[in-house]
Amino acid sequence: MTSVRTTEVRAVRGAHRRDVIEGADQRLWQWLTFAPALAMMLALSILPLANLFVTSFQDVAWVEGQPVRSWAGLTHYRALFDDELFGAGITNTVLFAFGAVTGQMVIGFALAVLCSKIGRGRVFYRAIFILPILIPGIVIGAIWKLMLNYDFGLANKLLGFVGIMPHDWLGSAETALLSVIIVDIWHWTPFCFLLFLAGVESLPQDVFEAAKIDGAGAWQELRYITLPLMIPTIIVTSAFRLILAFKVFDEVYLLTSGGPGTATEVISFTLYQRFFTEDKAGYGSAMSVAVIFLVSMLLVVALSARRRSEAAQ
Amino acid sequence: MNFDIRMPRRSILKGIGAAGAGSFLGGGAIRPLYAQSVAPITIVINQSPWFESFRRTVEAYEAATGNKVELDVNPFAGSLEKQRNSVRASEGQYDILIMNSGWFTEMYAGGFVEAITDIDPGFKLDPEVYTLGDTVYYNAEKKTVTADGKLMSVPISPLIPMLYYRGDLYREAGLQAPKTFADLEANARKFHNPPDIYGIVQRGARGPHTVAYDFYPYLYGHGGGIFKDQSSGDYSVTLNSPEGREALDYYIRLAREAGHPKTAASDQAEVIQAMVTGHAAHIMMVIAAWSQMDDPNKSAVVDKVEWAPPPSLEGLPTAPGLGHWLGGISKNVPDDRKRAAVEFLRWFQTKEAQLETAKAGGIPVHAAVYREPIADERKYRWMKPLAEALPHSVNIYQFPEASEVIAILELGLNRAIAGEITSVDSLNGMADQIHKVMAGHSYDTGALEPLK
Repeated sequence: MTSVRTTEVRAVRGAHRRDVIEGADQRLWQWLTFAPALAMMLALSILPLANLFVTSFQDVAWVEGQPVRSWAGLTHYRALFDDELFGAGITNTVLFAFGAVTGQMVIGFALAVLCSKIGRGRVFYRAIFILPILIPGIVIGAIWKLMLNYDFGLANKLLGFVGIMPHDWLGSAETALLSVIIVDIWHWTPFCFLLFLAGVESLPQDVFEAAKIDGAGAWQELRYITLPLMIPTIIVTSAFRLILAFKVFDEVYLLTSGGPGTATEVISFTLYQRFFTEDKAGYGSAMSVAVIFLVSMLLVVALSARRRSEAAQ
Repeated sequence: MNFDIRMPRRSILKGIGAAGAGSFLGGGAIRPLYAQSVAPITIVINQSPWFESFRRTVEAYEAATGNKVELDVNPFAGSLEKQRNSVRASEGQYDILIMNSGWFTEMYAGGFVEAITDIDPGFKLDPEVYTLGDTVYYNAEKKTVTADGKLMSVPISPLIPMLYYRGDLYREAGLQAPKTFADLEANARKFHNPPDIYGIVQRGARGPHTVAYDFYPYLYGHGGGIFKDQSSGDYSVTLNSPEGREALDYYIRLAREAGHPKTAASDQAEVIQAMVTGHAAHIMMVIAAWSQMDDPNKSAVVDKVEWAPPPSLEGLPTAPGLGHWLGGISKNVPDDRKRAAVEFLRWFQTKEAQLETAKAGGIPVHAAVYREPIADERKYRWMKPLAEALPHSVNIYQFPEASEVIAILELGLNRAIAGEITSVDSLNGMADQIHKVMAGHSYDTGALEPLK
């Protein structure tokens, strides 16, 4: 009896040991198979960032066709605070991002709700609404440069019909940034529209039916059911759009080149100017690191807001 | 040895057809019967109004020699970026770099361009080729762009701004081409009748080298400048001198009282557009745009535009800023390609090649071409005023960090023209920033007392 039990115990221990060894083997195997992907990810994302970070503490000069790096310490980071373009770039980027994204969210949401209510022609309207997002940035630049042209632009022609003097939309410091924001709203509202439409169409219909039975009107339905249920989608969409808006470059480059003065200077354009045009690798790297930090902060804020919203629901 | 080659009649006909089609599709250029004598080369170049003439000149070279040239064509800023990437690699992609006045010193001083005479000690620059402020030379020891240095490049396009004016309006009004700034202002005011026609349309937008380039003839024509004496290594900043202030005040006054309301947002394309649509009485524009004025497909003022050297103050010479292009040979390409590049430049600088360039719509770099009968033809009426202005052209930058100074000027000038800040604040601010840049790069520099 005792020997039988001892044999059983040994068998169980043996099986357990085999399981442990097999488990360890499996983990090792998992790591081994994961390692190439990890190494590639490190090589493609971490290393360039690390290189950028290191360069931000250096000056790079070219002598006899060879790069000569010298240690600059925190000089470039300190210089950011004195850089007139960087300051204007940050301010305008924040104004641009919040102005453009607010417009896109409001219009995109309204269009999505309206489109979800339409029975016939929904596909047609959807196709029309998403058209601007399909147009290449360079074409959008051309379209709006023509639209806002002082001498023969459509905007001034329309003003002329009602007896208003032509206005220099892109050349006046008062309206240049607003003009670029309007172009961005036109360009990116379809993105918000698509995400909102998907969100609205996936909302549970039984809640709306119950509200109708309780006598809720269209406004109450929107205010007390649609909007609260759409909060997670709204947060994700606004986070995506804010991050993209912070990276705006093509519209500014094509329409105003940051001018007049610094009226439309945005941070990506400043970076382009300092890093590429002026070829200041060290200073440009420091500016890049600062921008990455700012965008990362934005992402952290957006993610924590979403987490709070989900927890509340 | 006898060969008995029998081919079906259909194959022979096919072959003849293919050969015919090939020569037709080849663009009609007649290829020489002899083989190429040097290695094929690649030239990196920008897409500018004069590019088409350069392309046709290259075709003429290929037809004349059998040598092969490939062109890599880019936008202005893209060309610089490609050149930087190529010259900083272990082996370069481009054999000849077409360098702008804003960045050729970066290429010389960085050791990216090989002296032509180091590749071929027998190479001589034709004495009639414009050296354009001696910008074809570089003295590496003294770090100066001076004739005591080595020959680094050959001029490709001697671009300077010229005054384009409406000859028909001048004839009607019985006026002569303006020689002084006072004449220009008086005439611009006379013709200013917006929105039908603006007295002058200026290029005041902020860009890679936009408003600053437009301002140079005004600045130097008023006796001002950015630095005291670059050739002797004195980089004291003189931008905010009384002459500089007079020049900027004049530029802004012209824009506000006889110019276009969107001067602060006008770039080259808009300025040219204003002239060819008949909405400008004057523009100060790089000479490369001449062919657009008489092109009936693009212009409403065919045969109405005339040219003159940029005006200056009474008693001072015209002073157009160089916005020229130079062809230099990359250091990091194989020797056979360097030699092939020298052969191209040797051919390009000849009077015959430059005559081809002129006929193709380009701007010749050879002084003798301007004395040829072609310069008397109505179509080429810009040649004599250009020949008059070229000897007075000013090389604005002789140091590799020029792009940093240009960026400061672009912003400061644009802000003053847009009315964001006063001319005094603009000049003092720009001078201070330029001084910091030059001091930061350890140049011998100084500053004037700020303007009040």
